[in-house]
Amino acid sequence: MSTTDNCPSEANAAIGKMRGPEHGPKNIDVSALIDAEGGLIDRSIYTDTGIYDQEMRRIFARSWLFLAHTSQFKKPGDFFTTFMGQDPVIVTMDKTKTIRAYLNSCRHRGMRLCRADAGATKMFTCTYHGWSFDLAGALQSVPNEKAYPEGFDKKQWGLIEVPRVTEYKGLIFGNWDQDAEDLEDTLGDMRYYMDAMLDRDPEGTEVMGGVMKWELEGNWKLAAEQFATDWYHVNMSHASALMVMSPTGKGPKAEIVATPGRQFVSPNGHGAGFPTHPKSRFDAQAVHEHYDYDALRERLGDAAVEGPMTTGHATVFPSFSYLPVNGSIRIWHPKGPNKIEVWAWILVDKSMPDDVKDAQRLYNLRTFGPSGIFEADDGENWSEIQAVSGGFVTNSVPLNFQMGIGSEREDGVYPGQTSELYSDAAGRSFYKHWAELMNTPAWHEHPAPAPAGEPA
Amino acid sequence: MSEAINIGTINDIDEGEARVITAEENGTDADIAVFHAEDGNFYALDDTCTHETASLADGWIEGTEVECPVHSAKFCLKSGSVLCMPATLAARTHKIEVSGEDLLLYPSVSVLGA
Repeated sequence: MSTTDNCPSEANAAIGKMRGPEHGPKNIDVSALIDAEGGLIDRSIYTDTGIYDQEMRRIFARSWLFLAHTSQFKKPGDFFTTFMGQDPVIVTMDKTKTIRAYLNSCRHRGMRLCRADAGATKMFTCTYHGWSFDLAGALQSVPNEKAYPEGFDKKQWGLIEVPRVTEYKGLIFGNWDQDAEDLEDTLGDMRYYMDAMLDRDPEGTEVMGGVMKWELEGNWKLAAEQFATDWYHVNMSHASALMVMSPTGKGPKAEIVATPGRQFVSPNGHGAGFPTHPKSRFDAQAVHEHYDYDALRERLGDAAVEGPMTTGHATVFPSFSYLPVNGSIRIWHPKGPNKIEVWAWILVDKSMPDDVKDAQRLYNLRTFGPSGIFEADDGENWSEIQAVSGGFVTNSVPLNFQMGIGSEREDGVYPGQTSELYSDAAGRSFYKHWAELMNTPAWHEHPAPAPAGEPA
Repeated sequence: MSEAINIGTINDIDEGEARVITAEENGTDADIAVFHAEDGNFYALDDTCTHETASLADGWIEGTEVECPVHSAKFCLKSGSVLCMPATLAARTHKIEVSGEDLLLYPSVSVLGA
């Protein structure tokens, strides 16, 4: 499937055309809030509104953000609406079958242009005054256009396009930074761990059903960081769920609880952890029986099948997470410092028979998603952290990320730097990268070059 | 302009779809949209919406109505009358005849009578 990264577009001069309030945004130096080497985090990063606003500018406006899955688009005009940070976007397939993304805000008075979650259309027409944009984002129709001044040029008033949209094995990502490093380079070794979920089937993957959406009290980083680095909570937080899930009903065996495993630590803030004990698997029976493990070993390599293909967890920085065992892919949409909107899809292999897909769907719903017995535990933790974070003294006490300090190494089996399964290493790296971005001006902070023919 | 033009066969336009017979082809001053409605019949209206510039042939055909793809004005395919704002003027109709498998268009011949 082609995306706009096959033909990068120009940055839209309309962004930042009027400079906003005189005082401008105040940037906060976050270096004192993150001690990645010492494993200490100042918890104000979860509650401070100034930090949150800065994240919108310096994290979400410049990072590769998950938008949608390619299987959501089959014909020109198919669309899906989502968010990049708090910016609303429309993702659609244009007439040339290229996936493009636009700011979901009418150029006229700023109304939310497309008000549907998903669907098929020929035009995006604003329901306020009727400005109408085609699938290529061009302004096609302005009711009562004759009343506009002579110099009014519809070409200047097309939708604001997300300049970079690209695909990695079915996952579509967008980036507002037109000079951003390519997605594949940003992912780096993370691709190996993602492939253990995305590349099992030569046919690729697809999402089934709709998107599950729910709100949580909590800062988006609590969820993103946990999926990057936290196997530690599993045996405690999910004790009751693990008891229910164990075949004997008596809970998992000691060697499964104390399973060995590895945790991948990316310099770009991504993380993935997975057990490597051959019996540590919590997959749906029908899915387990469906797979030809010899063929998978041939395709992905022994280590991928024994590790990241199993019961693992992962985050692609900043806010896309997944669970290979049940095909849960999700985005943590930030909605202010204290609120997350979780959007979760169920990912399956395309060539799975329908009954196997359905078994995976049911298994996914039983464990994760709004009705999942594991998901409920996680949401409760994040919300309880957030609920007490308003206290002044509470918020003045640093948090501990010291497990596995110094354990990161190249282990000769898994690509990149890895740590132990039970470790905070990917969390420290997540926050280190977060702090680097927070302290570095983004593309929109550089003085914009004057357009040709206009004085600087 | 009462001469019929053969514009192809009934198999050329799927039910729920439409095609444009350009002004050049139809000999009038306007493009004409020929619709294959969900009642199985064929109808023809001026292609350009009476509200703003938009092709009704690109619109959504439901039953014997077409909804403009741009501002959602609705027209009756049988009579051209407006069924929903923001359009206020009826669309011009043109007679269509099915002869065997052939589709015959009578540009500018109103189905409503002269």
